Amino acid sequence: MTPLKPSFHGGLWCTEVLELLPDLVAGEVGAEERAAVEAHLRACDACARFGGRYAGLLTALAEAARQEPPAGVLERLRLRLRADLPPTR
Amino acid sequence: MEAGDEAAGAVFLDRHRGAVWRLLRAACRSEQEAEEALQESFLAVFRAPGAFAGPGSARPWLLGVARRQAARTWRRRSGEPMHAEALDGREEAPLVELGVAAGWGEVRDPEARVSAMEDHARLHRALDALSPADREVITLRDLEGLSGPEAAQVLDLPLASLKTRLHRARLRLLARLREEESR
Repeated sequence: MTPLKPSFHGGLWCTEVLELLPDLVAGEVGAEERAAVEAHLRACDACARFGGRYAGLLTALAEAARQEPPAGVLERLRLRLRADLPPTR
Repeated sequence: MEAGDEAAGAVFLDRHRGAVWRLLRAACRSEQEAEEALQESFLAVFRAPGAFAGPGSARPWLLGVARRQAARTWRRRSGEPMHAEALDGREEAPLVELGVAAGWGEVRDPEARVSAMEDHARLHRALDALSPADREVITLRDLEGLSGPEAAQVLDLPLASLKTRLHRARLRLLARLREEESR
């Protein structure tokens, strides 16, 4: 898979779009910058697809299963707290 | 929470144990280290009821306690500062290099890949393959949903450094997922 040569669209190079991705997905870019990025993405298929994949990762992580502490870990935690904390009242 | 109030303590533990455990499993090198840090974290919190006096949620504060405990456990076990490998300059790989490994600028794949990120088991396997430093920042921001300032508070980093570390960690995770997809 050969990477494409970075290109210039919407007043931005692909490398600048790569740097801006986190702020873009977090909604932390100003209107002018957002318009420039969107113009770039309309003209640059590689950046548009990578931007979609980057955003898709965040969605997948937000929906990923949450691992809970195993039962044995919880049991030992409760025993340790009972043993090491002063008795109540 | 009042000192010695077992019922309130149990509620507090049930509410936060999952998030604390996930951070510790991400930040520590082994389940044993994470378990040790988990016990020390809740002991520290219950020994000093009222230590949390912030205006916001208790969770970032509690995760900060757990993260500091993890750093102490790490140092005690290895004699090295936590995440020394992330602090010795290897973190400075050019962003473009990380991007290319993650698939940035790639020409269209003639055979559409089956995305690994939608498969929870493969996503977790790719996460597990990251360094603890990468895992913890992704866990805080993208799994637990802390804001940038909250995650920066937990990791005791300036917000700009948090953002840089997070972006790089996500790119490395995308690179791991590509490896999963090419299997």
